[in-house]
Amino acid sequence: MTMNRNLTRRESLKWMGLAGLGAMTGFPSLSLGGDAPSGHIVVVGGGFGGATAAKYLKRLAPSLDVTLIEPERRYITCPFTNLYLGGVRSFESLWHTFDELRDELGVTVIHDWAKDVDVEGRRIQLSGGESLSWDRLILSPGIDIRWGDLEGYDEAAAELAPHAWKPGAQSRLLRRQLEEMEDGGTFVLVAPDNPFRCPPGPYERVSMVANYLKNHKPKSKILLLDAKDGFSKQGLFMQGWERHYGDMIEWVSRSNDGLVMRVDADHLEVETEFGTIHKADVLNVVPPQKAGFIADRASVTDASGWVPVKPRTFESQLVAGVYVIGDATQAAPMPKSGFVANTQAKVTASAIIADLRGLPPVDPSWANTCYSLITPDWAISIAGVYEVYDELIREVPGSGGISPMDVGSVFRKQEAENARAWYAGIAHDVWGTRSLS
Amino acid sequence: MNLFLKRSMMAAALICAIWTPPNASAQPSWLQAEAIQAVLQGAAPIQPGVRLDIPAVTQDGSSVQVSIDVDSPMTPDDFIDRIHLFALDNPSPELIELSLTPLAGKASFTTRIRLDQSQTVVALARRSSGEWLAAARDVRVTVSGCLSREGTYRSEQLMQARVRVPGQGRQGAPMEVRTLIQHPMETGLREGPDGAIVPERIIERFEAAIDGEKVLTAHLHRAMAANPYLLFMIAPERSGELAMTWTEDTGVAATERASFEILR
Ligand SMILES: Cc1cc2nc3c(=O)[nH]c(=O)nc-3n(C[C@H](O)[C@H](O)[C@H](O)COP(=O)(O)OP(=O)(O)OC[C@H]3O[C@@H](n4cnc5c(N)ncnc54)[C@H](O)[C@@H]3O)c2cc1C
Repeated sequence: MTMNRNLTRRESLKWMGLAGLGAMTGFPSLSLGGDAPSGHIVVVGGGFGGATAAKYLKRLAPSLDVTLIEPERRYITCPFTNLYLGGVRSFESLWHTFDELRDELGVTVIHDWAKDVDVEGRRIQLSGGESLSWDRLILSPGIDIRWGDLEGYDEAAAELAPHAWKPGAQSRLLRRQLEEMEDGGTFVLVAPDNPFRCPPGPYERVSMVANYLKNHKPKSKILLLDAKDGFSKQGLFMQGWERHYGDMIEWVSRSNDGLVMRVDADHLEVETEFGTIHKADVLNVVPPQKAGFIADRASVTDASGWVPVKPRTFESQLVAGVYVIGDATQAAPMPKSGFVANTQAKVTASAIIADLRGLPPVDPSWANTCYSLITPDWAISIAGVYEVYDELIREVPGSGGISPMDVGSVFRKQEAENARAWYAGIAHDVWGTRSLS
Repeated sequence: MNLFLKRSMMAAALICAIWTPPNASAQPSWLQAEAIQAVLQGAAPIQPGVRLDIPAVTQDGSSVQVSIDVDSPMTPDDFIDRIHLFALDNPSPELIELSLTPLAGKASFTTRIRLDQSQTVVALARRSSGEWLAAARDVRVTVSGCLSREGTYRSEQLMQARVRVPGQGRQGAPMEVRTLIQHPMETGLREGPDGAIVPERIIERFEAAIDGEKVLTAHLHRAMAANPYLLFMIAPERSGELAMTWTEDTGVAATERASFEILR
């Protein structure tokens, strides 16, 4: 009996992917332990972190009760939203469902909001009135916008000047505005200071908007007002912009008065730190962010608005038994990416199972690759592997890599193919759906 | 707590005070740093007396925003006359020294610094009475996997300054002044593309005065972030003109002026 179970467990390690590499070395010791772990694990959020965690908990320990709480019946990815905005991918191709988790893995999926958390009583309240108890809680709620942090930018303003940094209606609104913009108009993107979701995201977004404008409204301009003096893959982006879009895109660094202090959404105007007013035809504000609100309700956030975690397990530093993964955490130098959330989920699933069996967590290892498309056939990437060293997370020395400068279109096109393959692969890993179109 | 317990704890505290060797006392270790002692000259600063605002984790050590705010009436009898900022594990720990007058209205400023590695940042402030206040913060510096930094400095912009001064204010209500000058702040520690060390070249002084009367003077060191940024306060009694001058270590200077109106 026990042998059989262990075999299944070993089998399932195959599915752990990159993050499993680290886990694998320590994992066999788990099979020395006694019975299959039991308990109820509640996972909040069905995105890159949460859906992966639910899946791998069940794969590694089918004896566990796993409940996933996610309001949406259809998850829409942020990755490749920019391609939708750029007119190179359909909106429907970003949709994923929870059928595999529910029907094949036996996860209980509840479509509702988690409203509040009672950390002492180990219970979670849902908006619909239901309340569940847990043995371990995993939160992967992603980000919330810090409304009002940027003067003039509140929820009403986002209906006029969308952020499109959480996918759904906001992405459609921004796409519609781009379609309605006249040729010769100005698209203004306001980029935030660190830390924020997807460090290369704003720069991929202007690339894809440029792709659309070049094909349909070539007299238009793009102004990127930045709260920073530098950004992810900057040299590669700028080289690509110049090559494909000439002088269509202008990047204004913070030191060149790029920091936006006030938004006037009614007039589609922004005011910078030193008082310059920029007028937009389409205004896309990527605002300051924080961990999703349920993290606050669980008392796991600190003054920064993000969640400090124990590096080995991603258990909250503030509340025992509550694990937080994905964008909501302070996991620097790991970036806030879907790829990272996926590997964090696998490490945390294995740490929780080890804990339930009274074993120490294995030495973790996480990975990341961020692809960015500059045109549909011209992409760049950055990659890294991370470990715990001196009880802090660090990038494994020499592990990282960034696409080379000055290479030709064959290389960049291959990276664009890799980006599409990455999307299909990770979607399949997380939700069991590649793309619905 | 009963009185007996309290007494015995006091006694214990006393014994500790007597038995602790002077160097391993409860004083924080940063207080012993050479750069700090060079300023304090043995004086014991009061903590907490200074608000030092800096992110606990920063993804880009080349430009870290830091704000310092000291409670003070800033009257001629009682004001903060000096503020020093240090990054103890940088190749040279001194960042900036500010000397202030009551005309600032508020002992508060924001700037951007370089942090070579994870370390402790320390602010010292001196009251006009001579008493020192201090604060320290630990900062972790990482370089995010999705962040790589390239130079953003263009030589044709060298010494170009930007300022923002409110056109109008009220008597007694301090106004915020923002300044920035384009400058690479070459540390003298960096290799150029040819492998040779790029010589040190920095903005070393910033002065602000209202109609000839000093508001503040700042001495900048090489670990200030490129494009030195300074946000400070002024509280003028009457309408006038604010003059701001930056001086490079070569002696070259740039001046900006802005007039304002004070409503009573
Ligand atoms: C434009 C853009 C492009 C991007 N491109 C890439 C890319 O190419 N590659 C990459 O790796 N990453 C990319 N990202 C980043 C990626 O989207 C995020 O890092 C990833 O989604 C983080 O996963 P998560 O699980 O933390 O949060 P999410 O994926 O946002 O999932 C959170 C889920 O939790 C749910 N939720 C929130 N609160 C509650 C609650 N109280 N109760 C119940 N459910 C709740 C939400 O509905 C949501 O479904 C991009 C992001 C943007 C904005």
